[in-house]
Amino acid sequence: MIPITEIAKRALDGKPLIEKEYDMRVFSPRVRELVKEYGISYDSDVLVPSDDGLADAVFKAAFDLICDVGVYCKDTERIIAFEEKEVRKELKTSYDHAVLGEGMEQRTLIPRKPDSKEKPWIFAGAGGVTVSDESIFMRLVENYAKRIPIANAITTPCLLSVDGAHIRAKSPLEIEGSIRTVVLGREALRRAGRPGLPIMNAIGTAESAIALASGLHPDFGLRKTDGYMIAELAELKTDLDLLNRAALLQSLNVPIAGIFGPIYGGFAGGAEGTAVTSTAFHIQGILTYGASWTLCFPIHIKYTSSSSPELIWLASLYAQAVSRNTRVPALYYNYTAAGPCTEMVLQEFAAEFIAAISSGASIETGGVAKGKYFDYLTPIEPMFASEVAYASAGIKRSDANEIVKKIVPKFIDKVPDPPRGKRFQDCCDSLTGEPSKECFGIYEEVKKQVSDLGIEFLY
Amino acid sequence: MSDVIEKLKQAVIDGDAEAVYKFSAEAIESGAAPLEILEMGISEGAKIVGEQFERMDIFLTELMLSGEAMMAGLDVVLPHIQAGDVPRRGKIVVGTVRGDIHEIGKNILKSLFVANGFEVSDIGVDVPTSKFVEEAEKIGADVIAISALMTSTIGGQKDVIDYLEQTGNRNKFIIMVGGGPTNQDWADEIGADGFAETAPEAVRVATQLIEKRRG
Repeated sequence: MIPITEIAKRALDGKPLIEKEYDMRVFSPRVRELVKEYGISYDSDVLVPSDDGLADAVFKAAFDLICDVGVYCKDTERIIAFEEKEVRKELKTSYDHAVLGEGMEQRTLIPRKPDSKEKPWIFAGAGGVTVSDESIFMRLVENYAKRIPIANAITTPCLLSVDGAHIRAKSPLEIEGSIRTVVLGREALRRAGRPGLPIMNAIGTAESAIALASGLHPDFGLRKTDGYMIAELAELKTDLDLLNRAALLQSLNVPIAGIFGPIYGGFAGGAEGTAVTSTAFHIQGILTYGASWTLCFPIHIKYTSSSSPELIWLASLYAQAVSRNTRVPALYYNYTAAGPCTEMVLQEFAAEFIAAISSGASIETGGVAKGKYFDYLTPIEPMFASEVAYASAGIKRSDANEIVKKIVPKFIDKVPDPPRGKRFQDCCDSLTGEPSKECFGIYEEVKKQVSDLGIEFLY
Repeated sequence: MSDVIEKLKQAVIDGDAEAVYKFSAEAIESGAAPLEILEMGISEGAKIVGEQFERMDIFLTELMLSGEAMMAGLDVVLPHIQAGDVPRRGKIVVGTVRGDIHEIGKNILKSLFVANGFEVSDIGVDVPTSKFVEEAEKIGADVIAISALMTSTIGGQKDVIDYLEQTGNRNKFIIMVGGGPTNQDWADEIGADGFAETAPEAVRVATQLIEKRRG
């Protein structure tokens, strides 16, 4: 691992460059050149490619990209550069697992491969989407833990407010919100009878490094076997606040994730460039943060969701590229266009996760309704998503492609104007979190649709 | 339309700032009407680029390069145009709230506003509340467009509105909000005038709100 002090030195002493120049005249043209050089091409007929050569070409392009353009530090306006030899060494000596959870829930997150029968890591829950009320937070987390026995880890919601006051970054409200997120999450898991489950998005509500540091105090319940995310900024960027987190978390010796949301249609260009950039982001997490796992959540620049065919293709290819060529476990997270209690949201999860799992990734159940709306969460969506992901292990990419191509037409026309669905308050019991009969009916219907296409659910 | 104006339009579409500068100067020297150069060359090229981006035929880099090229052309042409000759689409302040460093959404918004003929002041990211108001006052803005990407930062949008209300200036400006966790419900809750989920939609909403205000 490259010491964080060395990364900091490069961020302070590297080549100076205005950010806009990096975006438009360094990063973007180089991505375009590499896509051409390696002959990477999107094929709308093959959403889950089976071509190992194509996956390796994406990896080589990503490797060249990060060696050529480095990682941009926004605060210092300098390039954190990496030598080719150094990148090769880091990829060969990186972490290859992360131990998460306590007691009976302790498990080891390991990398998967395309077409692998190895069961995916199931990181289930709210995907960090916001709730307006602490009781909704509790009911959701309890239900995730109770209703998803195959969950290896929980992703909690974020809190919108503290005692009625909207949280502001870098304010005492953020500190208090971050601490409450941890305390409430741990207590909800205890109530569900699974106190050892790791919280892998610790601390979701903390936007600033100071809020993260505050919530880390052992009195509040976080453990070294929880998961700790550090964002990588679009595209191939970081800043000192994020490097500060790495400095703290590395010293605490906890499982760090590099998490990134490459933008389809942004500086990376189309599906090909975004696949290359996603793969380069995975490498960035290893190099700059010492990541032992990574999380990719691509976003469509126009729809701000991830279930469009181009994004399914790029997610599949990214997962293949990193799982075939690196040792660090890769997780995929999605943003559904549709909201809770709709058929569409479950169909989106099915299409994206069948593609990602067959391509070598594990999953975090993603942001429902684009993660945009407070309280648009129920236990049903992560429950279904986890079950379909678990059932997709062992499916060959070619078979996954055929299945995904049959699911996508069920919702694709609705992506530009998706149904928002229902809020927790409108379709779950407020005291128990029990989803309504309507929610379960939709769940059973889509499960049948997916089963009929050849997915064999565990239960 | 003259050949040079056609070339100018194409240079805007290509995002070639040097060529736009050159053809703008050539068009002026050839005696073409400045307003025609602006409308048929620069603005028409920018309009086509905006449409291409909305169809995803081009991506953010191309959009921003065209925005830069357009600005290069305006530097040449605007000094030859009398104030009042150009139909004023509107003046916009765009920025991301205090504590939030996300800027891609804001940059797309800026580029599309420029492409659609608006005068835009981009005040960056992590912007203090008062700076939005100060800049709007300074340029005589029609709209303050406030971006926020995080749940923990969207409260900053409300802060700007509250600041305007508490200083008695709320009705001076149209307030629009956008970015990751924002939505129409949130816009209504905090008393914003407009919300848009995408940048093209933001341009349409801003245009409608400005037209409505001007009567």
